[in-house]
Amino acid sequence: MKKSLALGLCALLMTLLLAACGGNNNEPQSSPASSDPAASAPAESSAAPTESAAEEKPVTISFMHFKSDVTDGVQKIVDQFEEANPNITVDVQPVKYDDYYTLLKTKMAGGDVVDVFTLNNGAQTKLFVDGGYVEDLTGQPLFENFDPSVVKAQETDGKNYIVPVNATPIAVFYNKKIFSDLGIAIPRTYDELIAAGKKIKEAGKTPFALGWKDGWTLGMWIGRDLPSNTALVENQPDFFAQLETGAAKFADNPATRTMIQHAKQIFDLGNKDQLGVDYNGVVDLFAKGDVGMMYMGTWPLADIQKKNPELYETGIGYFPYPFSNDASLNKLEFNPDASLAVGSNSKNKEAALKFVAFMASKEGGDSWVKNINSLSYVKGASADIAPAVTELQPYFDNGEVYDSQVYIKSTIDWQNQFVQNLQKLFFNKATEDEVIATMDDWVSKNHK
Amino acid sequence: MGNIKRLIRGEMWYILFLLPGLCLFIFAVLVPLIMGARYSFTNWDGLSRTVHYNGWDNYVRAFSDSDLWIVLANTFKYAFIVTLLVNFIALLLALFLDSYVKFKNGFRAIFFLSGAISTVLSGFIWKYNYAIGFPSLFKMFGLDVNSPLGDPNYALFGLILIAVWQGIGAPMIIYIAGLQGVSGELVESAKIDGASTVQSFFHITLPLIAPSITINILLVLTGSLKVFDLVYVTTQGGPAFSTEVISTFIYKNSFANFQAGYGTALSIIFFLILVLVTIVQISIFRRREVEM
Repeated sequence: MKKSLALGLCALLMTLLLAACGGNNNEPQSSPASSDPAASAPAESSAAPTESAAEEKPVTISFMHFKSDVTDGVQKIVDQFEEANPNITVDVQPVKYDDYYTLLKTKMAGGDVVDVFTLNNGAQTKLFVDGGYVEDLTGQPLFENFDPSVVKAQETDGKNYIVPVNATPIAVFYNKKIFSDLGIAIPRTYDELIAAGKKIKEAGKTPFALGWKDGWTLGMWIGRDLPSNTALVENQPDFFAQLETGAAKFADNPATRTMIQHAKQIFDLGNKDQLGVDYNGVVDLFAKGDVGMMYMGTWPLADIQKKNPELYETGIGYFPYPFSNDASLNKLEFNPDASLAVGSNSKNKEAALKFVAFMASKEGGDSWVKNINSLSYVKGASADIAPAVTELQPYFDNGEVYDSQVYIKSTIDWQNQFVQNLQKLFFNKATEDEVIATMDDWVSKNHK
Repeated sequence: MGNIKRLIRGEMWYILFLLPGLCLFIFAVLVPLIMGARYSFTNWDGLSRTVHYNGWDNYVRAFSDSDLWIVLANTFKYAFIVTLLVNFIALLLALFLDSYVKFKNGFRAIFFLSGAISTVLSGFIWKYNYAIGFPSLFKMFGLDVNSPLGDPNYALFGLILIAVWQGIGAPMIIYIAGLQGVSGELVESAKIDGASTVQSFFHITLPLIAPSITINILLVLTGSLKVFDLVYVTTQGGPAFSTEVISTFIYKNSFANFQAGYGTALSIIFFLILVLVTIVQISIFRRREVEM
């Protein structure tokens, strides 16, 4: 009797496991690698959305994206597209950002077909374009929906392979109540930021919600503090290009030291268990209202709204991260987030292009703003994403925005390596000089 | 010559039945291994369609790579502690379940359940436990605890705890089977001769279940040397490289650093290490087994 119960329980668990694991192998039209690129020519010419949906054959396109933290939101946008195009089914494959490029790379190199996928403008796009995996979209009518400067900024080797979708400011959320209770003004320089943090700590609250258990949260901060200081304070805008070829070293760049010191100061003012709590954990903390500041893009807003609507409506503000002590340099970081690309070996280019065109339309742009809580590049799309973000309006109006990512032209992944070395420093397992030396050593092993 | 012919004719059926298995092994294991090994002599970046052969460069680099030694040390530290703890606890539980306790089958199912959960899932569960569950639990008792995974000094032990929790199920079953194979008469006659429980365990039970010990230690050791999933979902090798093991190191080199050639060379080296460990370990333990 007992044995059969135990067996039954085990069987039940196994089925659950199998069911959970079974959800991912959805590649309905994946075909052998030897697809002939010559077959793509006719598909391109008929790309303009023609509304002869009635007798068209139903097709399925795969869409892989890295916005997995807003999987539901992306699904809603896709649902909207599927409603308008009943004969196209979109097989959405969300992947966590940390694993996204590895997975995409493996799939592409293995000859799998991904019809539409997200890319980051810059180094990552270049890598896939060089590999010949991305369809050239130059001259597609959908680009008319964007400001020419935006289209120009997302060019790779002078051609348009990717369609900009959304953009997000990356700045510091702050808790208005904590700031006003302690009489803290919005910091405009780095020293003011740290002074504010210390004041919050003295009051017994947590100054910074870090979430550095995840690699990307610290990586995101390093990947912005360092290039900003390098290019704007130390005036070495081509530092990272030189790093790649071995012409420059971290040791030659005073900004490296600045960044390490900043990291240590922020770590000391961070939430308890800085490297043990992940992104979701700190969004929780921040939403509870116990934390003063959080350096982040607009992604957590939807979560905060769900967890603490009151705080979301009136309790939080947003200010640019002051990376230096020169207030005039500390503009608002505004980065393109996801861009869309069409796979060059896609069998359903027409449908894929229709999908991309939808994302680039006013309707699609509005849908991104509404469902993802980030800003859209589409001309005329609404910009009303959250009460906190309206606080940034003056920076947009005065053009006080910049994009630190344009300075990073290298394809080597030094950020993740730096994350780990900084963690050594946090626990006094390495000194500043050792960190810089190890990093230079690592770069010399890995540069091209 | 005639002998061999007769042998072949006589054994042909056996050879015929061996063929499918042999083919499967050759085409699913051997051929891919050799094809993969070829890449270890190139500087392939994992994505480009052309490769450039560079001889033994990758191997030379591996042996002069100081990170590799740190990573190997982490891997062996993890594997040895996990192997010892898993086998010790599994044997204890097996002894407990082999004696006359009530609800034996219930306990057996409970102890086995954690092993039925996939590693990835248990990694996530424990990550949550460490970061949120335990701190809020201990807070009720006025204790302030941090996640061990967030501290380079304890992260590896945090992982070991998860691996032990997750890994005792299967070895326990094997030990129970081994214990049930020990005939009661032997233990009983030893008792009549005046042996204490401890004596009869060390001199009768333990030698008789030696085959189970061999296979368990072998399985757990090679399994934990190859650990990847657990590390990847919980710490990704961090913080401060304290949980970087050989498989995550290979993965990072191959994919994050775009050095698939070097990564493959590391895999081949790791493969040889595994073979070596297995041979040494089997030859040591086989000698200690007793035939009934």
